[in-house]
Amino acid sequence: MAHFVYPVPANAQPGTAYSAQPAYVAATPAQAAYGTATPRPGQAYESYPAAHATTQYAYTTRTQVAVTPAVSYDQPKAYYQPAPAATAYTAAEAHYQTAKPVFTTGAAGFTAQRPASQPKPPAVQVTTASQSYAYSAASTPAVNTYTSAYNNPTTTQSSISGTSYDAAVYSAASSYYQQQQAAKAIGTWAAKKPGTQPFKAKPKGPPKTPQLHYCDVCKISCAGPQTYREHLEGQKHKKKEAAMKGAATPVVRGGHNQLRCELCDVTCTGADAYAAHIRGAKHQKVVKLHTKLGKPIPSTDPVLVTTTGNSTVSVPKATSSTISAVGAGNKTVAKSTTSSVNIVKKVVATPKITFVGGTTLRTTGAKTEEVKAAPEPAAAAKPAEPMQTSSDDLKDDEHLNILGEKDVAPVGHEYIEEVRNEQGKTVSFNCKLCECKFNDPNAKEMHLKGRRHRLQYKKKVDPNLQVEVKPSIRARKVQEDKLRRQSQKEDFWRRREQEDRWRDEMRMEEEMYWEQHRRYDMEYMHRGPMGMMGPRGPFGAGPGPMIRKPESSDDRHVNAKHAAIYPTEVELQAVQTIVSACERALKQTSDVLADSDGPKPEEKKEIKKEEATTDAKQTEKVKEEPANTNRVLKGVMRVGVLAKGLLLHGDLNVNLVVLCSEKPTRTLLERMADSLPKQLATVTEDKYEVKRCVEEAAIIVTAEKEPNPSCTITLTSPVMREANTTEGETVSVKDPPDVLDRQKCLAALAALRHAKWFQARATGLPSCVIVIRILRDLCQRVPTWSHLSQWSMELLVEKCVSSGGPNMSPGDALRRIFECISSGIILPGGPGLYDPCEKDPTNALASLTNQMREDLTASAQHALRLVAFRQIHKVLAMDPLPPPRFPRQRFNNPRKRRHTGSGEGTEEGAEKKEKKEGEEATTEAAATTK
Amino acid sequence: MRGRGGPPMGRGMMRPNFRPGPPFRAFIPHIPFDLVQCESTFPRAKSAPEEKPFTEALLKRNVDLTPSAPEQASVLALVSKIQTILDNLVVTPGAFEAAQIEEVRQVGSFKKGTMMTGHNVADIVVLLKTLPTKEAVAALGSKVQEELKLLEPIEGKVLTMLTNDSGFEMSSAEASVKCLITTIPPNLKKLDPELHLDGKIMQSHLAAIRHSRWFEENAQHSSIKVLIRLLKDLRNRFEGLQPLTPWIIELLSHFAVVNHPSRQPLAINGAFRRSLQLLSAGLFLPGSVGIADPCEQGTVRVHVVMTLEQQDQVCFTAQTLLRVLSHGGFKQILGLEGNASIATEMSVWEGVVVTPSDKAYEKIEKKEDEEEMEEDADESVRRKTCSVKQYQNIQSICHPETQEDADES
Repeated sequence: MAHFVYPVPANAQPGTAYSAQPAYVAATPAQAAYGTATPRPGQAYESYPAAHATTQYAYTTRTQVAVTPAVSYDQPKAYYQPAPAATAYTAAEAHYQTAKPVFTTGAAGFTAQRPASQPKPPAVQVTTASQSYAYSAASTPAVNTYTSAYNNPTTTQSSISGTSYDAAVYSAASSYYQQQQAAKAIGTWAAKKPGTQPFKAKPKGPPKTPQLHYCDVCKISCAGPQTYREHLEGQKHKKKEAAMKGAATPVVRGGHNQLRCELCDVTCTGADAYAAHIRGAKHQKVVKLHTKLGKPIPSTDPVLVTTTGNSTVSVPKATSSTISAVGAGNKTVAKSTTSSVNIVKKVVATPKITFVGGTTLRTTGAKTEEVKAAPEPAAAAKPAEPMQTSSDDLKDDEHLNILGEKDVAPVGHEYIEEVRNEQGKTVSFNCKLCECKFNDPNAKEMHLKGRRHRLQYKKKVDPNLQVEVKPSIRARKVQEDKLRRQSQKEDFWRRREQEDRWRDEMRMEEEMYWEQHRRYDMEYMHRGPMGMMGPRGPFGAGPGPMIRKPESSDDRHVNAKHAAIYPTEVELQAVQTIVSACERALKQTSDVLADSDGPKPEEKKEIKKEEATTDAKQTEKVKEEPANTNRVLKGVMRVGVLAKGLLLHGDLNVNLVVLCSEKPTRTLLERMADSLPKQLATVTEDKYEVKRCVEEAAIIVTAEKEPNPSCTITLTSPVMREANTTEGETVSVKDPPDVLDRQKCLAALAALRHAKWFQARATGLPSCVIVIRILRDLCQRVPTWSHLSQWSMELLVEKCVSSGGPNMSPGDALRRIFECISSGIILPGGPGLYDPCEKDPTNALASLTNQMREDLTASAQHALRLVAFRQIHKVLAMDPLPPPRFPRQRFNNPRKRRHTGSGEGTEEGAEKKEKKEGEEATTEAAATTK
Repeated sequence: MRGRGGPPMGRGMMRPNFRPGPPFRAFIPHIPFDLVQCESTFPRAKSAPEEKPFTEALLKRNVDLTPSAPEQASVLALVSKIQTILDNLVVTPGAFEAAQIEEVRQVGSFKKGTMMTGHNVADIVVLLKTLPTKEAVAALGSKVQEELKLLEPIEGKVLTMLTNDSGFEMSSAEASVKCLITTIPPNLKKLDPELHLDGKIMQSHLAAIRHSRWFEENAQHSSIKVLIRLLKDLRNRFEGLQPLTPWIIELLSHFAVVNHPSRQPLAINGAFRRSLQLLSAGLFLPGSVGIADPCEQGTVRVHVVMTLEQQDQVCFTAQTLLRVLSHGGFKQILGLEGNASIATEMSVWEGVVVTPSDKAYEKIEKKEDEEEMEEDADESVRRKTCSVKQYQNIQSICHPETQEDADES
């Protein structure tokens, strides 16, 4: 077939060969021309690189043909073309299509398409003219058909400017063709025939002379000449005729993927639909009619060929027809689609199916073709022929596939559910992906291949599935848009870069300029009154940490509790009074005793001094009279809660320790107790009761004035400890007989050390004192905790807080204490608490029994979880605090105000109100956290 | 003067914005007490107790819990067969149409070497390139089953394939392999609950892959594996520890063994005790910094997958156990003697009465709930907005092995 093509152009425009473009291009159209080869060519176009200019192909082809008269290998080329399976629709594609009609016309002589010449106007309409096929029914369809075809070429004018040459082309083509045919075609074809056979079926004799009156234009038959004539004169017919002639080709609706049954003039949206149409009664009827009429398609090949011809759509058929040169009376209808793209003129050859993406299947077939085709051009025409045949065979197979599958493999069988009736017969199908139902098994296949189904499959099953994009105008626009945006973006960045460069260059100057300014500003600011800068200092420093560590709910509870257990002003005052009174009185007592005792042995002096200096650091109240070396009472110091500042509300008993230069004896205690009241009277007017408590090694002073604070004055001496640590024996020997209880004295000494330690380690630690106060309260309240000694508790807290990182908030610190105990620090297996105030490794917790430890731990564990679950108030034995309300008052957030309103609205009953407020506040808290 | 007015005024104007006050209350997690981290602060005041029997008991228990060689071999055999089959499907995508496999990975306790005896289940995550429709999963399951039968037709082993919510499970008489299906992340958005497997489960399977990778890189020390086994066993025996997911246990074990100032892995006895101590100290309580999930973006505290109630439960059970342990009850804790009642009933150890801890968490009235938000934004928000079921979902995201290893319990 391809032969025809080549000659045509060659003849027509020998001089016009623009360039040596791929020869195969031409071949394709030829194929198409043959009829019907719709899908095929279409595909070819589709895949064709966009770069080629349409018109060029046509010419090129011709040129080549002219040069090489060996027509035969062109065909392979035609196959070859599809090889570059690729790309979607592009402008180029349109061109191909345009080009195709030209050839088509030339070759088959059916329809003429006016391809646009190089400058194609955007919207080109293509005229489709269906022509009468004057086929002489040839027994050898090939030759005959062609000839006839050539005899009756019809040219269609295109509305496009610059297409005028087509007519010439056609005529030229036909003439050339005839020559060709005569010259060699026959032989060629003969050789090919066997290959074609399967498709072609039997060539039939020429159709009987039409007895029916058939209107070609309207494709109807009339009962008799009368009616026929009437029909011809009828409006309907006239209209149709006019439409046809008047270049107003039926514009394909929707455009791209449609198939057209030329015979019935029916357009189908897809290959499957087309196939259905072909199978359909209506089509059969028309076919029958045509057969009867001996109209082109039927006439050549009444049954099979006709169908073939019609089903042209399918590539394989096209091929077969091509090969066999069936010329199966196919009419090619060129449709033009107009698209908005500039060069886009789309002339669609009739069977456009190809678009539907047969690409994949195609590719393989095409590749083989390619291989074959490659040598061919070089080879002479004749030798090439056998090869062609073989390739045709190949093709056929391939086409068969394509015919069946239409190049798209059905996907998602799994999702088709068969609905069966009671007899177990499948009555309908249900596609779970698309949620649709259908009854026809054929429809099932169609559905599986269908675009919609594939899209669903892509969406729901395999995102990688290729679903061809419908090249709608819209899609194209989007595409263009995208491209444009991209280029804009690139442009933007380029400009940006430039700007940057430019800015870099400018920076030097700028910097200099701004540098000057800044210096100026700074000077100015500094010169300004300090008031300007003033607010900044406190502002920056003050709230800084507060912002960083917001007060948590735990903190608030702890702080509130702390405030509640903190001693009142009166209590503090009272304690302060009694302590200072005692201290002063003690000093005087010391003086008195010193006077009365007279000089003491020198040896004591050193010790005294040593003690004095150390004591001086922490207690200013140390009585120091270095001059008086023989003083028995060397100094008095505050210890315990008083020294540590851990006084709680209700704590009115404070402790003082009097250091003696030698082991305190009962005698000494008596003397002091005797002397104290007198001295107290001298230093203050308040009444105090002084009680001696020998077993405690202490004197207890109690104020008679409310709130009756008391002060316990314990006597001790560092000598007690030394004796303890060295040999107890010797010490005991030296001991005066009435020495005071040693343990008490030692405890007093330890208390002294603890006080020192506390001031060194704990006082400065944030949250530490607060938490210790809280825990003191806990120990007083809860029996379980009462076993935990004050000292070990302090030790524990200090260790926990100091190891917990800087700036622990009180809430965190408290929680950490509980965590620490929870993790078993005081349990029998735990490490215990190392006492830093003892020389030997000592466990501060040693006094606890295992049961106490167990209970303490269990209690702490529960407390920990209470804290974690927002029930710290239970641990602290207080009422839960309502969340902070200040945010609302400070910020006038309308939403918050609304809450306020609702809260105030229901202010009945204090209880209820409180509850409301709580809720309201919590919602606020919620709002604020968002 | 005029010009100078500018900047300070600007600053003044900004103040309200600059200092927003309480509305911005960042959640600052509390770092719970950890004795091992504070060792220097808490020097031993008395000699360390004798730990040898305890250590021995731990090791013995570990041996009991480790699956025997034949068990491991049978699981391994099945796993490698299935892995091979699936790998073949990966390399020949055309061979199987219903789905395309991107990747196949072993995860879970078998992969990590923490499998427990009596739980011969290995997990394989199959990462699909296609979307995991239920049909595709079923088809894949049957395909694998088919291939398996081809591989060993003679043995005639009974192989069953069961599909479930997370994929399918192939079981033979002595071993089973769970194939957990998931899909590549870009597909997760496209999941439709009607057609596909649950997205949360898919995510959890993806997480499982991350977990096994993390584990491979970070937790290969055998102390960790032993501890994981012991803790899993503990979890299985004490109901209060049920909410701990395998992933939490793995992270906790890793933390307990390795997270140490000296970076020297702790001995198993120390690590076991430490795990209980950490749990008791409220590592997994609300407000605690907990353990950040290394396999999730951002800082996700692993324990937030537990409900508050569960957190309380885990904590108080661990606290009770810790006390029992310190009074010498390690045999009961390890399950060598006695039963699990020690966690729930009063017991006496050398004259010391151990009273089990009780729950502190109270059913949230609304008020409390919202107060929660102040600090514990994430938990409370979740609690407020999630139903229990959603909670489970969240749980499963972060802790896939809840499914993987579910039957370990």
